[in-house]
Amino acid sequence: MIAIFILGMVAFVADPIDGISFDTEILPILTKAGCNAGACHGAAAGRGGMHLSLFGSDPEADFVTLVQDMEGRRINTLHPMQSLMLRKSLGDLDHGGGEVLEIDSVALQRLSQWIHAGATRGISKDLVHFSVKPSEVLLRDDSHSIALQATASFDNEQERDVTPWTLFKAADPSAVEIDRTGHARVLQRGEHVVIARYLNQVKTVALLRPWSERDVDLASEPRENFIDSFVLERIAQLRLPVSPLASDDAWLRRVTLDLTGRLPRPEDVRRFLLDQESDKKRRVVDSLLESEAFTDYWTFQLARMLRMHSLPNEVSAFDCYRMWLREQIAADRPWNEIVSLLLESSGDSHSVGPANFHRMVDDARGEAELVSQAFAGIRLGCANCHNHPLDRWTQDDYHGLAGIFAKLNRSRIVEWTDRGSVTNLRTGERAIPRVPGVKNVSNEAKPIHEVLNWLLDPNNPLLARVMVNRLWKSMLGRGLVEPVDDLRATNPATHPELFDALTSDFMLHGYRIRHTLRTIALSSTYNRSDQSLAGNAAEDRFYSHAYSHPLEPAVLADAIADVTGVSDSFEVPSWRFAIHAIDSSQPVATLDVLGRCRGSSTPCGEGQHSAVGLATQLHWINGEMINKKIQSPEGRLHQAIHAGRSNDSILQELFERCWSARLNEEELERWSSRISDNPSERTKQLEDIFWSLLNSRAFRNRH
Amino acid sequence: MPCAQEISLRCDGIKRRDALRIGMLTGLGTIGTPGLSVFDWMQLKSHAASHCSHAKSCILLWMDGGPSHLEMWDLKPDAPSSVRGPFEPINTRVPGIQICELLPETAKLAHHLAIVRSVTSPLGEHGIANQYMLTGYEPNAVLQYPSYGSVVAHVRSHPIAMPPYIVIPESRFAGAGFLGAAGEPFSLRGDPASTQFRVRDIELFPEVDEVRLLRRKHWLEELDAIQKNLDQQQPTSNGSLEQAYRMILAPESKGAFDLMSESDETRHRYGPRTFGQSCLLARRLVERGVPFITVHHAGWDTHENLELQLKSGFAGAKVGVGLIPTFDLAFSALLRDLEDRRMLDETLVIAMGEFGRTPKLNARGGRDHWPRVFSMVMAGGGVRGGQVIGASDRTGESPLEAPVTPKDIAFTVYSLLGIDPHQELTTTDGRPIPINQGGRMIQGILGI
Repeated sequence: MIAIFILGMVAFVADPIDGISFDTEILPILTKAGCNAGACHGAAAGRGGMHLSLFGSDPEADFVTLVQDMEGRRINTLHPMQSLMLRKSLGDLDHGGGEVLEIDSVALQRLSQWIHAGATRGISKDLVHFSVKPSEVLLRDDSHSIALQATASFDNEQERDVTPWTLFKAADPSAVEIDRTGHARVLQRGEHVVIARYLNQVKTVALLRPWSERDVDLASEPRENFIDSFVLERIAQLRLPVSPLASDDAWLRRVTLDLTGRLPRPEDVRRFLLDQESDKKRRVVDSLLESEAFTDYWTFQLARMLRMHSLPNEVSAFDCYRMWLREQIAADRPWNEIVSLLLESSGDSHSVGPANFHRMVDDARGEAELVSQAFAGIRLGCANCHNHPLDRWTQDDYHGLAGIFAKLNRSRIVEWTDRGSVTNLRTGERAIPRVPGVKNVSNEAKPIHEVLNWLLDPNNPLLARVMVNRLWKSMLGRGLVEPVDDLRATNPATHPELFDALTSDFMLHGYRIRHTLRTIALSSTYNRSDQSLAGNAAEDRFYSHAYSHPLEPAVLADAIADVTGVSDSFEVPSWRFAIHAIDSSQPVATLDVLGRCRGSSTPCGEGQHSAVGLATQLHWINGEMINKKIQSPEGRLHQAIHAGRSNDSILQELFERCWSARLNEEELERWSSRISDNPSERTKQLEDIFWSLLNSRAFRNRH
Repeated sequence: MPCAQEISLRCDGIKRRDALRIGMLTGLGTIGTPGLSVFDWMQLKSHAASHCSHAKSCILLWMDGGPSHLEMWDLKPDAPSSVRGPFEPINTRVPGIQICELLPETAKLAHHLAIVRSVTSPLGEHGIANQYMLTGYEPNAVLQYPSYGSVVAHVRSHPIAMPPYIVIPESRFAGAGFLGAAGEPFSLRGDPASTQFRVRDIELFPEVDEVRLLRRKHWLEELDAIQKNLDQQQPTSNGSLEQAYRMILAPESKGAFDLMSESDETRHRYGPRTFGQSCLLARRLVERGVPFITVHHAGWDTHENLELQLKSGFAGAKVGVGLIPTFDLAFSALLRDLEDRRMLDETLVIAMGEFGRTPKLNARGGRDHWPRVFSMVMAGGGVRGGQVIGASDRTGESPLEAPVTPKDIAFTVYSLLGIDPHQELTTTDGRPIPINQGGRMIQGILGI
């Protein structure tokens, strides 16, 4: 009782009637002016000899910096306008950031009043509520402007309008224009996100501008499953014209690449085109999901996500880990079970495959980042040096999660010990083990169980959400949230309801990746043509047409080997395809030319695209990779010439293999008419056509 | 005067009207000022007004391993013998400036050199020290920063057939960092001193002649036209394919790497070894408009038998062919060649490594890593030659005056190349990072 009474007195004394609080009224000005942004004084090392906490997350430290450091020379209470802080902000004194405040602004007035009144900290109040209205709005055209209004309430006070002190920032500044008073105009069609920041809270606003003036008629669009309903609903809302469905051969090429990382064989294409049964797609998808190639490809994909790599002189540990993962995928083991095993396993890493998971990182912080990014879709790394600027994660969360993994011994025998800790960079003291955003777990016997409970919480199924997002991206070329492992309220999904539905469906079907992949593959959304229309060409996230992207290095290498009939040679005897080369420390010339990612400490982007750099292009033109395979006497082309096959037959096969499409009479005639009767010239011409096909976008891309 | 205005906006972001205000306020001093001080800014501005240009290209001679400042640019003849080392200083063309006796040719060109004797860094381990000096950013575990050449390639437009950033022969630390694949250097790999020297993949594949190459290109364009949509979705990805064709076919790039077309006399002047021929190649590339070239010269990590490594090269050598004579020959030939071709004013040449060497000779007759003070040299590109900047103390242990950090070097190099050091780059996850963090112009480097 006494303590409360005294606190109340202090608060009363420090809060005179017109008192301006540093925490709640001065910091937002600094944030809005950009002073504490990452590129300015908010950088970890500060700028120009002054450091502020990123976006004002540490008011106490910022107050000391501005008011007390340098013997208080940044503040002049007698002559506020002579304060170093104001003269710099006005650009009167040399200031790397230039002029950030205007002389006649309300912000400057308030700063100078605060300094005049003694530049005190004032009373510190908790921001309990911050909101921005509207949160989603449909705008007609680029002259249509909408007023965004931000309100906040502190402790038990009434809501107040904080629009002037809220920092509004469009995710794509070229698409949205926001003036100082919070009026927004949308300059480009589509959906755009605006992030509103006030003190330590951020909210998002979605601004929609339809793609055309008239409603689109989607009545005749097929709806194969729930995916299509959600996607079409969004398309209708945005008035997007939809491209027709893809041809059968285009669909077959796409689904074979996405599920197995391989091209369909010509006989597969022909059989599929002749098949008249209505369930032919379902049968193809099922057989792809059952194939060895599927297991190989998804072992490769998940291994990359888990940053699997070999450790020096411990090949058997790597093999054991890889084999284990492959077995899990072959057996369609639920993803939550796989992750439980990865997190909980310990023992001899040369015989217990999943125990190697802990050894793929250098230390506890590395493991905290890997686990949060791969399994929770959280970029916790930001919170190493400062609280996450766009999410609720704090340094205590980061170092606390690292504190759990600090108890691991990461040598050959992996074991949990009762020793080991990390330093919390915020406090400089030993970090308290903690499940991010949930609770401290210093007293738990097995804190890793709490981490699992956090990932598998049915009310916030982080593990399921990030996996579903990845599966979606591997099929559609874009995540419902991008980047795929950066899920947060300030980075909303393009289709929130679809994302929820897919996540529930994944959990309902036992966290099985084959189930979700099948559902996606059989939707008509997946079956859209990549041929865009005039009205939807610029659209890249609502699936009104399919999106093409370059094949990733390993898939491209295998495709080249498949179509030329000349396989790559690998130093590891058990490898037959580039997709087997999970361990990037093993040299594979083709993959290096194609630009595979070889980092083990940094995560390789998922869905890595082949390099298109100069050295790579030179190699495609003049190098061995393609030329040698084309010219090889054992290769398909020279074998076909040797066997005396006709131009038509050879050309048809080359196109079928490279493009998974058959030439019609007219096209066939056009190409074969170019071919000379002179045998040596004929060979060169066929080689040149083959080269052009292998370099064509239709071959090098998934589309 | 357009250049002066251009540079005022480029180099410090201060507007003209503010500059006038600052001019009146200079008496107030500049406490904790970031970036350019008013003095720097005035200096740079008047420099721009007098020259009206900035360096078009930069050749970085990277002396990998950490060259000894005490055996090259900052000898201490009066120090105790435990510090002094085996070599004597000699006079240069510029009165009052002395450098090592193993640099006689360079000494004749001292009027072109700005020798900075007060570079200082806290990092004494190769990996991180390399990164710091090659990027100008203090290394950080969570972010890989881009090296000089990558930033130049990223920021400058380069309407030429040649790649904008070339490394001879290759370098582990001079990469693009967060700028990604497009900023990576084009590494030549091979040894320019070898008669077999060829740059990978710029010559046609056996049996594929130019006629076939053009036919393939033509047919490829026809095939891609069928799939027009793919083009629209990836407007930029074809850029490097076009550049590859240009590089293979364009006359100006055709002989770029062909050192055989240089006279024997010229090849001889640069010295027969890899470093010399790499410098010659760098000059050919500058002539063809390449804005940034790094020549990687390995072997400067002289922990033992420093005299042998730096001077003789091998036991019983009659003429010294060690690191310093090799450097002397190549560096002087490069500067003379650029001067003769009237290219020195627009080509910035930098010679440096990641740190210096310990003041005390160790028991194995070598020196270990020493970042607290070391030297670097700049020439051409608007740099005022014939001067020494800063100083180390009596034993070459610490900076005595005008300490220069790797950040300052970066600020200076970018400014000389006409790139605003405050300009922001963006990381893959959207963080804004200025090209230079916390550097200042090296005082007195400019040609006034």
